[in-house]
Amino acid sequence: MESIFEKLWRVGPAAFVLKAIVAAILANALLLAFILLRRTYRKRYFAKRDARVFELRQKWDALISGEIPYETWRKKPFDRRIVETIALDAFEAAGSEESARLLRFLRQSGLIEKRIFEARQLTGWRRMRSLVALGRTRAPEGIPALAEALRDRDLEVRLAALRGLGRMACPEAGEEILAWVGESGLSVPALPLQSALIQCCAERPQLLLPFVQHAGGLLREVLGRVLGDIATPSMGLDLLQFVGDDLDELRAAAARAMSHNKSGMAFDLLNELVRDPIWFVRLRAIVSLGKLSDPRAIPSLLRGLTDSNRLVRLRAAEGLVELKTDMAPIFNRVVETRDRYGLHAYLTALENADLRGKLEHELQISTAIREEERDLLEKVLRTGALLAEDPAITTSLVDKAALLP
Amino acid sequence: MIRFLVISNHTLFWYYFSSNIAYLTMLMIALKTSATHQRRLESHRLAWIKDTPLAPPIAIIAPAHNEESSIRVAVHNLLELDYPELQVIVVNDGSEDRTLEELREEFRLRPVRAVYVPEAKSAPVRGLYRSDVDTRLLVVDKEPGGSKADAVNAGLNAATSPYVCVVDADSVLERDALLRIMVPILADPKRVVAVGGIIRVLNGSEIQDGTLKRVRLPRKSIEVIQVIEYLRAFLIGREAWAQGNMLTIISGAFGLFRTDLVRAVGGYRSRAIGEDFDLVARLHRHLLEKGSDYQIRFVPDPMCWTEVPSDLRSLGRQRARWQKGLLDVLWPNRDMLFRPRYGRIGWFAFPYLWLFELLAPVVELVGLATIILAACLGVLSREFFLQFLIFGYAFATVISIGSVLQEEITYKRYNDWQDVVRLVSYCFFEHFPYRQLHMIWRLQGLWQYLRGDFLWKPMKRKGLSSAQVR
Repeated sequence: MESIFEKLWRVGPAAFVLKAIVAAILANALLLAFILLRRTYRKRYFAKRDARVFELRQKWDALISGEIPYETWRKKPFDRRIVETIALDAFEAAGSEESARLLRFLRQSGLIEKRIFEARQLTGWRRMRSLVALGRTRAPEGIPALAEALRDRDLEVRLAALRGLGRMACPEAGEEILAWVGESGLSVPALPLQSALIQCCAERPQLLLPFVQHAGGLLREVLGRVLGDIATPSMGLDLLQFVGDDLDELRAAAARAMSHNKSGMAFDLLNELVRDPIWFVRLRAIVSLGKLSDPRAIPSLLRGLTDSNRLVRLRAAEGLVELKTDMAPIFNRVVETRDRYGLHAYLTALENADLRGKLEHELQISTAIREEERDLLEKVLRTGALLAEDPAITTSLVDKAALLP
Repeated sequence: MIRFLVISNHTLFWYYFSSNIAYLTMLMIALKTSATHQRRLESHRLAWIKDTPLAPPIAIIAPAHNEESSIRVAVHNLLELDYPELQVIVVNDGSEDRTLEELREEFRLRPVRAVYVPEAKSAPVRGLYRSDVDTRLLVVDKEPGGSKADAVNAGLNAATSPYVCVVDADSVLERDALLRIMVPILADPKRVVAVGGIIRVLNGSEIQDGTLKRVRLPRKSIEVIQVIEYLRAFLIGREAWAQGNMLTIISGAFGLFRTDLVRAVGGYRSRAIGEDFDLVARLHRHLLEKGSDYQIRFVPDPMCWTEVPSDLRSLGRQRARWQKGLLDVLWPNRDMLFRPRYGRIGWFAFPYLWLFELLAPVVELVGLATIILAACLGVLSREFFLQFLIFGYAFATVISIGSVLQEEITYKRYNDWQDVVRLVSYCFFEHFPYRQLHMIWRLQGLWQYLRGDFLWKPMKRKGLSSAQVR
């Protein structure tokens, strides 16, 4: 049997061309007709819609108060879509009082019930659209329908349900998401799941703990990251178990969670994590130490300043600069590290925070440092170069070193 | 001789046949993809991205060379983009005018010692400045590097964000462009390493304070034809190639990349003629050689509006340069062709670029010559020759109108009836004599490259400060 290529070759160009011309001209005509008809239709549709939107907006208060019976517009799909869109747009920008009024309207008019019904009965894109609308209402009665949609076979529908639940931002929605990931694992990309869980579990982060303990693989990582984001000081003891965890993400999460905990134990653990072999664990620990803004963090922050990773150095420098303590002694210790990269990071952070002038002033008036040290530090601050880079200063450093016991 | 002409004409016929089939396939893929994308966006509300605490920081790198007339407006525009975590790095690439002074005055710049790690090759940096008005703005003042790539590399060295977005300082980004371009990354941050947005033609549109007020079709024919070209290239070509993860070009005027990967490949190649194409090709190579599971995506709705050449001379130069850029990337990467380790890029994307983009002007020229010769010698039926031309013309218009349709059913920026009628009518005029001119420019580009003429001559621009770009 001859192949398609052989057939085409045998047919030859001539047999094609006439048919192809007709087909191409026909295609052109169809495309043009489609553009023309579509434009005309859309022009009419939008004119009609805009007019109707204007009319409905004119009597908006009467509409949402129920003064105009809901049935008058609810049974007309065109009107219903307009009213729902106006209400949901207003809802997203409304304050608490107006939100409550709009939510009451959405409930009483049956719009939420309708969307719940659609989210359960429809499939594909139409189900997705209903889930999005349901999420936008933030009505708790929509949670079961959204949770059901998490088990849909279509990824887009699952994502819409997940985002909808995230939008609810309440622990009940978080419980549904966790129950679902508990039974089916990670069946959506990590970031939307993480985002939804952060929003839902922020109020009650303890919800995550049993799932983090029992989950495995990538899911555990994701849950760990969520935990790191939303952990509160009261969870300090619960998080201790993760400091020595095999999973880098969880150690990082534990480090991140410690940023709220000013207990001595938190400092010990963070000091431990600053020595972690994984750079982002060290980074988290340094960021947390910086956030604690406590002089007890200084040794670890100085250690971070000499880290091999530039992000760690930068954050350590920011932590040191933001400490609410005398800057001159800290600068002295930064210079003592004799780390060129560390000094560069510190000066960068200093200038970014616009505190260079303050340090100069403190150096001049500080009594905590000796006169010759002051000259030295001023020179380093002025040149941005370490002692060893300047022969004159190096000589004085050697002299100074000779005096040391 | 006659045998040669017959074979040549047959080859030519099948060449055009396969090229048209490729375009038709791309048109169909693009129409389907756009529809899916539109629906997907319904569940991905942009305002929610704005609120999410997980939106990764982005550093916008805007190289500027002698942009004193538009730099203030351009930087304000960038700072006003909707995105929760944004840093704007303007690289003053040795401007000889008042670009730096304008920035200094407008944004109250002060010298800083910000982290600058020269990982990517770039001309020496003279100073780094941070704005007191908006601390998100960092200005890198450097010696002239002679290329945009050099300036972008300096910005890259100063960036601390996980993603960098490279833009042209004189382009206009729509306010939600960053939110839109981040959609694929937020959905799959592990695999998506770069995303390209769409570039649209700014000429003719009304702009006020650097913001697009009203989209209109340009007046000049040459500009309108470029509108069609851009629609076809982006809404059909790139959309379709990206579906198969075979996107090889992310426009230098608007593209988003993972910072660590751009650094890993050494940043932009300073001497590259088409630095944007070159970077994406090197990213593909790097990731394929490592065996990574990755995606380079295209998003058709984050729009960047840019000024296109409005005279034949500038346009000719630009197209010749693009052709040189194509050869400049394809030739060093020829070892990627038909090698299993380079997957689809080696089997489909690069062979397509060689055959239907790089060699197209040569094939067209040879084809025209042999057809005319064959017709003169009586080897080719004149009737068939005429039919073949009509077919070629009619089919090419289908693709062009298809791209207008794609714009119509998705983004519909040309709302004026008059604009649409003009746009559609130009689809019929584009193929003669513009196409033939285009062929000549591309041949010139190839010739210049072979002669070693890599000189870049800047295009004349009117700038954003004008009330209306005409």
